[in-house]
Amino acid sequence: GLPSPRRPRAGTGTSHKLVRRRRCSSARPARPRRNSESDAELLKMMESACFLRHVLEGYLDEQFCQVEDLQDEASPNFAEEVVTLFFKDSARLISNIEQALEKYPKDFNRWDAYMQQLKGSCSSIGASRMKSECMSFREYCGQGSVDGCMKSFQKVKREHTALRQKLEAYFQLLRQAGPAGAAPRPAK
Amino acid sequence: MAAAAPSPVPAAISAAAKVASPKAGDRKVVPVTAADEVEQEEMHVLAVDDSSVDRAVIAKILRSSKYRVTTVDSATRALELLCLGLLPDVSMIITDYWMPGMTGYELLKRVKESSQLKEIPVVIMSSENVPNRISRCLEEGAEDFLLKPVRPSDVSRLCSRIR
Repeated sequence: GLPSPRRPRAGTGTSHKLVRRRRCSSARPARPRRNSESDAELLKMMESACFLRHVLEGYLDEQFCQVEDLQDEASPNFAEEVVTLFFKDSARLISNIEQALEKYPKDFNRWDAYMQQLKGSCSSIGASRMKSECMSFREYCGQGSVDGCMKSFQKVKREHTALRQKLEAYFQLLRQAGPAGAAPRPAK
Repeated sequence: MAAAAPSPVPAAISAAAKVASPKAGDRKVVPVTAADEVEQEEMHVLAVDDSSVDRAVIAKILRSSKYRVTTVDSATRALELLCLGLLPDVSMIITDYWMPGMTGYELLKRVKESSQLKEIPVVIMSSENVPNRISRCLEEGAEDFLLKPVRPSDVSRLCSRIR
């Protein structure tokens, strides 16, 4: 799962949205007023996070923004918490499907039912690419194509792994970047 | 206790009926007495969903709008709590349609059949846009039907109607 987040300092509830505000702009993030060294370091981190966010946009849709938007001072790490829940859930569902593919050959109804749950979770956090693969799998179930299901399932797993890596890196960078305008705190 | 509890509620229920709690600052259920209940006009919503992700999101959306939220992971659990009188001040139930065991639709029916509970508005959520399903729920007395993923705007529109 994801490493446990550090809480931002009081009054910095918007820190984790910093990168998101930049997401649609190709302009560089504003340079905070610090000495040049921590400047450069912070800037690099913010750019990495912006870049990552841009890459993430291929994997995540508007729903993810909605989830991030729910973050506030009461739940400053809400998005990460939800993502953690997602991966816990999805790992379990993928494992169920894996077992079902083996134990219940051609049981397309069962396979479909599991994948429906997984697709629902993807939808809730905006994991659009993974959701597409889930939908493909369900189509193959509808067609009664074992081969199609098997191949599609491999794709689902690949998307899952890729998404996990990217989101872990994204949240890691957000944590390191810390509140806007302050020196980055040393990573734990 | 007024109405007869629906038969699926099992006899052996522990007094401190445990609620599935996701990490995102969710509330445990405590038996509410008149003295405890001082939360002015604050609306208390019961959210029912077997998906931990969806529970976390719907709870957060509701709490951001200043509602108190209790979440449970099954319709059966929801009925237990309601019928035991552990949630006497619930002013809305929002439930997923498709859940293992009892579905949200069945929960809706039981609530509307119960003289104790039937006044509580029930909202159904579903990831699938099936017109047949939607009209059946509305016919059965659902207050509204929301498509997942649910947005804050869906919920605020809803709650302003129910208030």
